[in-house]
Amino acid sequence: MKLLRGSIAWIYALVVFGFILLPVVSLVVFSFQATNLPLPPFAGPSLRWYEALFADSGMVEALRNSLIVGVISAFFSTMLGFLSAYGLARYRPAGAQATRAALMTPLGVSYLVIGFGLAITANELALGRSLVLVTLGHIIINLPLAFAIILSQMRDEDETLEKAARDLGANEWIVITRIAIPVVLPGLLAAFLLSFTLSWDEFIIAFFLADFDVTLPIEIWSQLRTGLDAKTNAAGTLVFAISVVTLTLAYVLNRAVQQRSRRP
Amino acid sequence: MHKTRITVSMATFSAAALLLASCAGGTDAESSSSSQGASSDAPQELNALVWCDHTDPALLEPFEEANNVTVNVRDYEGTGVALGILEQSQPGDWDVFVIDSVDVPRVAEAGLLAPLDKADFDFNQFFEEVQLPEIHEIDGQLYAVPEKFGYNTVAFNGANVDAEKMRDLSFLWDPELAGKIAIYDYYIPVMEFVGLELGIEPQNITVDDLPAIEARLAELKEQSAQVGDVVSTQTALATGEVDVIVGGGEFSTSVLNAENPDLDWILPNQGGIRWQQAIGVLAGSENQDLATKFVQYIVSDEGQAALATSSCYWGMPANKDAALTDEQKDILRWDEQSGFIANSYPYYIPDADLDAAMLDVWTRVVVG
Amino acid sequence: MTIRRNWQGWALVGPALLVTLVLFAAPMVMVILTSLHRRTGGTTDRTLSLDNYVRLATDSTIHQALLNSLEVVGLTVFFSTLVSYPLAYIIAFRVPVKWQALVLLLTVVPFWTSYVVRSYSWLLVLAKNGVMNQSLQSFGLIGEPITLANTRFATVLAFVHFFVMVSTLTIYASLRQIPNNLPLAARDLGASPWHVFTRITLPLSIPGVTVGAFLTFVLAIGDYITPQIVGGGNELLLPQLLMLQVSRRGDFPLAAAMALVLLVIVAAVYAVSAKNLTLERRR
Repeated sequence: MKLLRGSIAWIYALVVFGFILLPVVSLVVFSFQATNLPLPPFAGPSLRWYEALFADSGMVEALRNSLIVGVISAFFSTMLGFLSAYGLARYRPAGAQATRAALMTPLGVSYLVIGFGLAITANELALGRSLVLVTLGHIIINLPLAFAIILSQMRDEDETLEKAARDLGANEWIVITRIAIPVVLPGLLAAFLLSFTLSWDEFIIAFFLADFDVTLPIEIWSQLRTGLDAKTNAAGTLVFAISVVTLTLAYVLNRAVQQRSRRP
Repeated sequence: MHKTRITVSMATFSAAALLLASCAGGTDAESSSSSQGASSDAPQELNALVWCDHTDPALLEPFEEANNVTVNVRDYEGTGVALGILEQSQPGDWDVFVIDSVDVPRVAEAGLLAPLDKADFDFNQFFEEVQLPEIHEIDGQLYAVPEKFGYNTVAFNGANVDAEKMRDLSFLWDPELAGKIAIYDYYIPVMEFVGLELGIEPQNITVDDLPAIEARLAELKEQSAQVGDVVSTQTALATGEVDVIVGGGEFSTSVLNAENPDLDWILPNQGGIRWQQAIGVLAGSENQDLATKFVQYIVSDEGQAALATSSCYWGMPANKDAALTDEQKDILRWDEQSGFIANSYPYYIPDADLDAAMLDVWTRVVVG
Repeated sequence: MTIRRNWQGWALVGPALLVTLVLFAAPMVMVILTSLHRRTGGTTDRTLSLDNYVRLATDSTIHQALLNSLEVVGLTVFFSTLVSYPLAYIIAFRVPVKWQALVLLLTVVPFWTSYVVRSYSWLLVLAKNGVMNQSLQSFGLIGEPITLANTRFATVLAFVHFFVMVSTLTIYASLRQIPNNLPLAARDLGASPWHVFTRITLPLSIPGVTVGAFLTFVLAIGDYITPQIVGGGNELLLPQLLMLQVSRRGDFPLAAAMALVLLVIVAAVYAVSAKNLTLERRR
């Protein structure tokens, strides 16, 4: 009976994973399609769409723009998230509850509404659409997440370390940079990476706020609206590959850092 | 121990920051504003608001290379969208405007278009039927030049649907086509097309006709598998998801002909709707000379050939002397054009109230 | 001492609050303000009026779009939760602990492909001559290809695909927080595995289920891309109607009013589920 239940569990898991992988496998496989449309029959494999992708300066620029916007917005989200988490956790100023609620509110608002709101506001202020606006839009959507993640990493026990440092004469800067940040480093990295990932593939806010310098999701969307071919599959696969490589790197780096710090 | 962790993290962040700085520097250098035309190395920029057939690199590159210009294009799905974009922009944001000919009068009257010098263009080259001075000019002053035309009619897969049956517009509502139709989602031509089936000519449509059109349209929606834009309807026809595109035409099928010669289009006996695009320079543009040059390129023999066979959709060039091959002319049914023009009605553009009412009807039918 | 604590606390929190004010609160105020304007002819009339709200209350097209949204999102939440709960359970309790992080990662990794391209891939997978129809035919389950793409089914399927991942993560987090000794104690006291599940595991995992469902609801109800790409224009959901106002009519005031409708709905759902919306370990 237990064996049956066990196998049902595994079959279920396999079916669900199959479901999850289905469009992704299709996407990746047909990026190597030899004919025009990313549809069966698969007449491959061919690298022509990857060549087309890298020859497409619009795509390459969009890719670069996405990377820049992602890194900058993730950096500021993480930094602001850290400062406010630290401020709330360690100083507990009056109105901490309300502050927490205020910082978390953007999470409950659809990206569509946030992007729309920013677009109207920018227009009122006669601010032209640009990647700067897109970066700002991404900062505001990722700030609550970064804040929540880092806050959850701040435990009361670590405060004693900081108190000890202060007692020994360290000023605030040293306490923050030498003690507080290293202790929550996993949280910082997690917040940064999550923010980057969410910014990197974000469409609707970028759509409202960018002009001719676009991010990758917008470029893909535009290309898909003017003609269907497998080049966008190549783009999607590339996006995937970059994400996998980034996170593997992060994991390896993190392990390496932990290993070194274990040595006496 | 802590030191090492901090060093690693600081190093990572600094590296990232340096990388950013170099990339950001690159971005600044490239996105020079259009007012910086003086620099000989950095290309000038021209911003064009266009239908998607103008985004084809094969169309833009010859002009860009010859003039050291970057042409930035944004495409739109309908004139209402384009006007919305213009409204949301600051003066000087846009230089070139591609617009349906029937919309030129109201846009010119609103002062959005710059006057053009007729001497810059050879009107003898244009098909007579598309010159339409009554809509491209105000008081003898030229505001836009015709560039391309075609039909909103029916496109279909000849392997699955009898071309002869498609000559009767009413056949679209036949149960034989249930679930096999895609409706092109531009409400004005499609609703006028439906009106033709009811015997109402586009220029005569009034608010009183809308209930009948709405009912007929709703029946057509029941028959259809999807409502979509140029590309999604093309894709649906190409993949066999549907066999007919209502509101489609050569612009739907010609681009797919190479892969599937069965895809075809026809004007039914009741007639079709004729669309026509014109191109002009925006009054607020800071690059009027360059913009005019671009317009001249678009209506030149080479430009017209590229535009007629552009990657998003094909259409008839306004210029008779467009440098097309015989094969391309066949696909466009070049020789049958005079018959088609005679049997088709130009878009009729409703006034603002009728337009809003039509869009309301459309949205009501489509919302599902 | 308290004064110094307050001042420094505020100095640290200040930047984030300022950013939230400028980039979030101010735009939301703008949205509310814009919803009180009117779009007439080709221009925006800025005299304050409730016309758009009157329209929201009376226009059947808007009601239909809202109803479509609620139905589609409701189906999505239901099926995502249904599919992800067993998966989360399997990962939390059947997979050896040291592999769990990796398995979770494998669940998430496929979603690092571009959202837009992935949606188009679904369209092609569900096409009449796509992978799904061809497989169903080769397994003899159907004779002729069936219409899967461009339907509500396609929209819900594509949504569920994404949100199964989200809910699996949140339910897993909840399940892992159940102290191990509880189920063990219950078994010792003679409870059957079924009782352990229904009386202990399930109730204690409700926060994870609620958070997952809430996230799914918020993200799905405001999503424009998935219904636009795979829905085939056969029905319109509220985000699509909103974008229609923006793009085709330039009617920002009405679009703003619709945006507020979305906000209010989400706020209402939050209010109802607030008690259970936490994944924090109960101290």
